Amino acid sequence: MGSIKIQQLTKSFGDTEVLKGIDLDIKDGEFLILVGPSGCGKSTLMNSIAGLEDVSSGDILIDGDNVTDLSPKERDIAMVFQSYALYPTMSVSRNISFGLEMRKVPKAEIAKTVADVSQLLQIEHLLDRKPSALSGGQRQRVAMGRALARNPRVFLFDEPLSNLDAKLRVEMRTEIKKLHKRLGTTIVYVTHDQVEAMTLADRIAVMKDGQVQQFGTPYEIYNNPANRFVADFMGSPPMNFIECVVLDDKLVIESQGEKFELHINHGERLKQAGVETVILGIRPEMITEPKPHVEGALVHSIPMQVDVTEPMGPDTIAFGQWNGTEIQARLSPEAGVEAQATGHVKVQVDTSKAVFFDAFSGARLDA
Amino acid sequence: MSASTTSHRLYKALFITLLLVFALVYLAPLYVMLTTSFKGIEEIRNGNILALPTTLNGSAWSKAWSSACTGGDCYGLAPYFWNSMRIVLPAVFISTVIGALNGYVLSQWRFTGSNFLFGALLFGCFIPFQVILLPMAKLLAWLGLANTVPGLVLVHVIYGVAFTTLFFRNYYVGIPTELVRAARLDGAGFFAIFRHVFLPLSAPIIVVSIIWQFTQIWNDFLFGVVYSGPGTQPITVALNNLVNTTMGGKEYNVDMAAAVIAALPTLVVYLVAGKYFVRGLTAGAVKG
Repeated sequence: MGSIKIQQLTKSFGDTEVLKGIDLDIKDGEFLILVGPSGCGKSTLMNSIAGLEDVSSGDILIDGDNVTDLSPKERDIAMVFQSYALYPTMSVSRNISFGLEMRKVPKAEIAKTVADVSQLLQIEHLLDRKPSALSGGQRQRVAMGRALARNPRVFLFDEPLSNLDAKLRVEMRTEIKKLHKRLGTTIVYVTHDQVEAMTLADRIAVMKDGQVQQFGTPYEIYNNPANRFVADFMGSPPMNFIECVVLDDKLVIESQGEKFELHINHGERLKQAGVETVILGIRPEMITEPKPHVEGALVHSIPMQVDVTEPMGPDTIAFGQWNGTEIQARLSPEAGVEAQATGHVKVQVDTSKAVFFDAFSGARLDA
Repeated sequence: MSASTTSHRLYKALFITLLLVFALVYLAPLYVMLTTSFKGIEEIRNGNILALPTTLNGSAWSKAWSSACTGGDCYGLAPYFWNSMRIVLPAVFISTVIGALNGYVLSQWRFTGSNFLFGALLFGCFIPFQVILLPMAKLLAWLGLANTVPGLVLVHVIYGVAFTTLFFRNYYVGIPTELVRAARLDGAGFFAIFRHVFLPLSAPIIVVSIIWQFTQIWNDFLFGVVYSGPGTQPITVALNNLVNTTMGGKEYNVDMAAAVIAALPTLVVYLVAGKYFVRGLTAGAVKG
């Protein structure tokens, strides 16, 4: 069991407020990702949950017990560190068993746990080695093994994959997800990589400046972002933000000197709000080459000048300009080749998933 | 052979010659000490100072060790050698242990004012012995430790802790704090983390601390002469007394043998652990 409740948590270093009243409710068995740019307070929040840092005010409850003032070892939490923090003088096997040894677990039980964990992570052949004789990926596994051996109520992962090369990172990402599915233990996972956040999480807490900007499922965060910051941070290539004039219940787009009207959902709401301009947020995958089977009032055809293209393999990102703002469209590789050759492309714009933000505050206008 | 190689070789030969000359000048006194200590007194008076002894005569050594007069007593250096050991061994051990714990706290368990405390301890490295002679004498008398071995141990521990703390703190500061955090989550406490995580990493710096402290304390004369009593004088003081006590003619061979005996333990420590000393001093600079 391992549900976590964080209530009005604040933390200050001197005059700097690092956490400004965090509220999170993490269900037992949930995979929660804390994501945000560096300096947003996500690591501080994780250290507070671990008990490695004192909080200034607020409460942390694990399974309903208030652990705010308990020492790390009394919280029954295990953590995987960014640097792995393996004990350099101990063998892999002792690294894994050290926590059990400190908790006075009987020897036979320790031996069994080490055997089980090393089998699960496929590190049996490494048990007698020292950490210095391991590769980065192997160290990563041992660090996870050390956490698993304790069978804690909660796992904390502090950017565990950021020191691995790109290929290994993707492999380990999948493995962590499988491991979570198998063990069902609550995981709180800190990362600044939005792809990791999207792929791993049951729910994501997007943080900025010591505050949670949005707390929701990857689907909600991606498709229904609470504000412009969340919309911008999640998604690669990032969402396009285009400042548009509101005309009745439609938006005006200017491309290659011509003006086009965009039909949108919730247009009447923008009209009622009486705003003159609005930031249109539309993801690159909604600006594509014409797809004949997609039709409707929200699908438009707009010509676009192509400044540069970036072939990604499965698709090609084309950079153009609308309303004086650089935008990115996601074309098929074939359309990409043609756009590169001719310097322009006629794109299909689908506004069914477009979102709208206040030009000044960045707040959502249509939600 | 090209001209540049020739001049290169010439330079190399020049450097080596120069180094050899320096080494010879540096080692000459040791040579004189050793040869003189094996000569008889007649041979010293009549012969050349640089000449090798005609016969290996060990009598000066045994006299220096067991029967030479140091002031009033004539038991040689042996009792004082053991006095020094009784002072040096506990003082080295205690100051190294305290230094290790201090360094561990100051690098890994920082608290408000810990940097100030470290600065204050560092200041201790720069206080000359002479400055504290009188107040320390008062303190030792007040503690009832004047003229005793424990008194001398205490003085050397206090002086040594400044240095050992500096060594250990600078060594431990290179160990990532995440290790402490990981161990805390694993359920280890302050001393368990020190014992299981830090101590096994500390061999190089422990060697540095031991060599440094052993040499400092063994070679100390000032504290030894001021704070010791008749039965607790260290070997440096006894050596001085031995050389200054003359019955009839000056026995250079005995003086030389005594000086070598007094220097021998530090030489042995260096020979045994010297390579770790250099390794330990540079260990902080290398990322593991």
